[in-house]
Amino acid sequence: MTTLKQPGQTNGSGYLRAPFLSRLHEWISTADHKKLGVMYVSTGLIFFLIGGLEATMMRWQLAVPGNTVLSPEDFNRLFTMHGTTMVFLVGMPILLGVANYFVPLQIGARDLAFPRLNAFGFWLFLFGGLLLYFSYFGAQGLYGMGSAPDVGWFAYAPLTERTYSRGHSTDYWILGLLVSSFGSIATGINLITTILTMRCRGMTLMKMPLLVWLMLIDAILIMIAMPPLAAAQVMLLFDRLMGAHFFDPQGGGSAVLWQNLFWFFGHPEVYILILPAFAYVSEIIPVFCRKVIFGYPLMVAATVSIGFISLGVWVHHMFALGLSPMVNTIFMGSTFLIAIPTGIKMFNWVGTMFGGKIRFDTPMLFCTGFLAMFLIGGLTGVMLATVPFDWQVSDSYFVVGHFHYVLFGGLVFSIFAAIYYWFPKVTGKMLSESLGKCQFWLLFIGFNLTFGPMHVSGMLGMPRRIYTYHADRGWELWNMLSSIGVLIQIAGVLFFAWNVFRSLRSGRKAGPDPWDAWTLEWSTASPPPEYNFEEEPVVYSRRPLWDKKHPEDPDWKYE
Amino acid sequence: MSATPTSPVTPLLSPPEAMSQAMDSGKCGMLCLICSEITFFGTLLAVYLFYIGKDPAGTPTPSEVLEVSAAPMKVVFNSFFLLTSSIWITLAVRSLRKGAMRAFAFWWLLTILFGIEFLVGTGMEWYGMIADQGLTIRTNLFGSGFYTVVGFHAAHVAIGLFLLSLVFVLTLLGFMHKRHAEKIELLSWYWHFVDGIWIAVFTIVYIIGR
Amino acid sequence: MAHDTQQPGTENGIHLPAPTSSPFVCAFGVTLIFTGIVTIWSVSIIGFVIALVGAIRWWKEVLPDNVHQLVPLEEERVSIDPKPGGVAHLMVPGGTHRARIPIEIHPYGAGAIGGLLGGLSMAIIAIVYGIIAEGSPWYTVNILGATILPSLSQEDASQLAQWHTWGFLFGTLIHVSMSIMIGLLYGVVLPMIPRGRILFAAAFIPLLWSGLAWGSLRVVNPVLNDHVDWTWFIISQIVFGAVCGFIVTRSERISTMQNWSMLERTGMESPGVPSIGGDDE
Repeated sequence: MTTLKQPGQTNGSGYLRAPFLSRLHEWISTADHKKLGVMYVSTGLIFFLIGGLEATMMRWQLAVPGNTVLSPEDFNRLFTMHGTTMVFLVGMPILLGVANYFVPLQIGARDLAFPRLNAFGFWLFLFGGLLLYFSYFGAQGLYGMGSAPDVGWFAYAPLTERTYSRGHSTDYWILGLLVSSFGSIATGINLITTILTMRCRGMTLMKMPLLVWLMLIDAILIMIAMPPLAAAQVMLLFDRLMGAHFFDPQGGGSAVLWQNLFWFFGHPEVYILILPAFAYVSEIIPVFCRKVIFGYPLMVAATVSIGFISLGVWVHHMFALGLSPMVNTIFMGSTFLIAIPTGIKMFNWVGTMFGGKIRFDTPMLFCTGFLAMFLIGGLTGVMLATVPFDWQVSDSYFVVGHFHYVLFGGLVFSIFAAIYYWFPKVTGKMLSESLGKCQFWLLFIGFNLTFGPMHVSGMLGMPRRIYTYHADRGWELWNMLSSIGVLIQIAGVLFFAWNVFRSLRSGRKAGPDPWDAWTLEWSTASPPPEYNFEEEPVVYSRRPLWDKKHPEDPDWKYE
Repeated sequence: MSATPTSPVTPLLSPPEAMSQAMDSGKCGMLCLICSEITFFGTLLAVYLFYIGKDPAGTPTPSEVLEVSAAPMKVVFNSFFLLTSSIWITLAVRSLRKGAMRAFAFWWLLTILFGIEFLVGTGMEWYGMIADQGLTIRTNLFGSGFYTVVGFHAAHVAIGLFLLSLVFVLTLLGFMHKRHAEKIELLSWYWHFVDGIWIAVFTIVYIIGR
Repeated sequence: MAHDTQQPGTENGIHLPAPTSSPFVCAFGVTLIFTGIVTIWSVSIIGFVIALVGAIRWWKEVLPDNVHQLVPLEEERVSIDPKPGGVAHLMVPGGTHRARIPIEIHPYGAGAIGGLLGGLSMAIIAIVYGIIAEGSPWYTVNILGATILPSLSQEDASQLAQWHTWGFLFGTLIHVSMSIMIGLLYGVVLPMIPRGRILFAAAFIPLLWSGLAWGSLRVVNPVLNDHVDWTWFIISQIVFGAVCGFIVTRSERISTMQNWSMLERTGMESPGVPSIGGDDE
């Protein structure tokens, strides 16, 4: 971090350069939710670059048939690390970081309920991630067999058993994720407690901003879904290190059980990742459409029901496994069911935009992109939830296209929207609008060029996780298009990096409330002082700042 | 043609009242921790239930091990100690609330001793199984499940005992006061949770699993 | 552990938790414990010691009481000033600008009747087409029935032209229920369209629906697709849309009850409660 605010030493510019070591010490020893939030998001973005680099190498290898840029072993490691990184080391820290920063600000609190536990959670996450990446050096250096994990991000047994996965690479996958998921659980518990017990005066549950509501449900999902993963990983670790038989078919263990346990965590995890995307969009769209969110109570109800239903759909990842038709049908039904609250949300966002005075600043642009891309991802999701269709394209590039539309087109677009929206609050500087718009269009075009053709190559039968293919399959064009799209996306990300760098140096000053927004975080300085609010705020409605700006027509008269 | 509404929704006349917090942060946090621990143990126990009677390797079976070594009686004895310790810790917290520090120290120590007895008992049971029956975690599915489930419970008891002992030492050093009753009560909640989980483990491993 | 961030502020500062590196040290130790499992056991020992050191420092900070630091207030204060005006209000009847739009809707009954009459005119066109194309009024209803009757969809045009009891029943069932549902949709959606409602009803939606059917039917049921004459299909859709849209838009609008008080909604009548419902004119 290049800028740092020294508490109590504000001079004219507000920024001081302290010696490097003392600045480092300040960041390491901080228990401030805002600094931890910034660290979470920055770490997540760095891992995003690493994960993106891994994806780029895979697309390079797949650009033309019979390519030899990567060996099959390296390719296996890359897709494993790409998936694991993007889910656990990019999605999780960014969502926890934004929640860390803005949940206390939006509910008018001075910090999370347990500030030190919060720091502990962050460091566990970071060290867990580093431990996972240490496998690139450690696993090979000590035993000479294998390096990074190469078993896929869901690490299906019995491939992960000692017999098939020699060396320690899979152990690194287990331990790295175990450590970082302890951190996530701790922070999840912290968020729930903060939201339930530390809201400012007047903020009843139904007056909370939607971001807070969604993060509450998100944290509850983290609390319920992450421990089963830890339990499954511990059992796998016992299999590998002590010779237990949990997932070892030769000893009577069940490989299907691992799949059940993993996806019992894995599917809620998908919603853990996408609920924050809903949260950012629900905050940003009303502000840029100059209207209140359409159907607030319905949004809350939809969020809660998504949280519930997401715990009961995991078998749709296992349709091709050969479970009984009854089981498949039940889970097909529950998966269709989850499309209802998600659809309600889509309609409410569109309903908010309908008739609004829309300002297409960069955050809104990314939100619009989110709506369109997430809609496509959601619809292919409904297609995949249909068992007969799933049997046709299971484990093909169609699935890869689907979940990238959800997680990239959905989550990453909304994360960029959130960064453009809240960057002024966090740093006090505006990001450049023109660079931001360039980034959006590059990313939007590149994204569609990369992941759109994957639906076609998947329909043509191209399986996931293959490291190369023959020229006679009719997949060349689609793969080439996908790989070209990556180059355009890289250009978009470079625009973003340059934008952040330039704005931190010489960005326009933001002031406390650059977007004329309505939630509490905009009622304090940018960046906020360490104590957030001088006096504990009192709110009367869902838009406390509207009430203050328009005392002649306050919201609380009507809610 | 159309209806003419008189006034919009009646405005609230006074600002909302100050909200009273339903719950203390510490309590909420501890409840959440217990929730996530329950899902952790729930997963382990579900796996154990799933594997009951599915062991291809055969010997030793749960009924052989859990009966022949006279484990049932020993286990019932141990369980009695663990479960009654919940009573003692409740009495300890009550004493602390009243500020009766001596009574607090007494009941607290009793809780620790009963917990230690349970841990020692489990250790002896394990020793008997490993030495006499030759059952280890790698023997068969039953061994894998048994040592994992009971082991994780024992680890939680051990962590609890460590924290309890820490509080005991602080009490002896005179750092504990009436005003800490809230924090101490949270610790007692954790201890109750460890006991509750034992009831589930006992039912599944020693009754259903046999 | 109890929340220590709600300490009262003083005149010139606010109490916040003091910075501490204990969580960092503790987390590092915990990670080393796990690292030892895949490297050398001594790493775990070192990790345990580090974690313990971190934990003890941590406990010292929270037991018996939390350590705080006093953060001085910043000189710059932010205040949110009233900014009256600057907002263009959408004035709705009744003198208020707070309303959920539309505040007046067509009665649902109008949608259902519109759908039924639209369906009737559509059926007439379909029968005319059937007589022109295959010389039989039953041809089109059988095609519609064939969408859910597999046996029917295998037959050729001359067989479809004959009377099929089940084909007629299912075809009529599908047609009537779809007509009512789409009529209801028209009833709900049309008040929301700012202008050009009849165009929306008679051209936009029929063409959109025809395009959707044209695109999907050839994939979903290629056999059935051969029997469909798309020109007539579009004509019948447009007639449906025109009739249904006309009936819906000509129906009398009624107010939603969103601005009514609880008493008015429940229909209570008592002195002092101004009667507002639909009966004031």
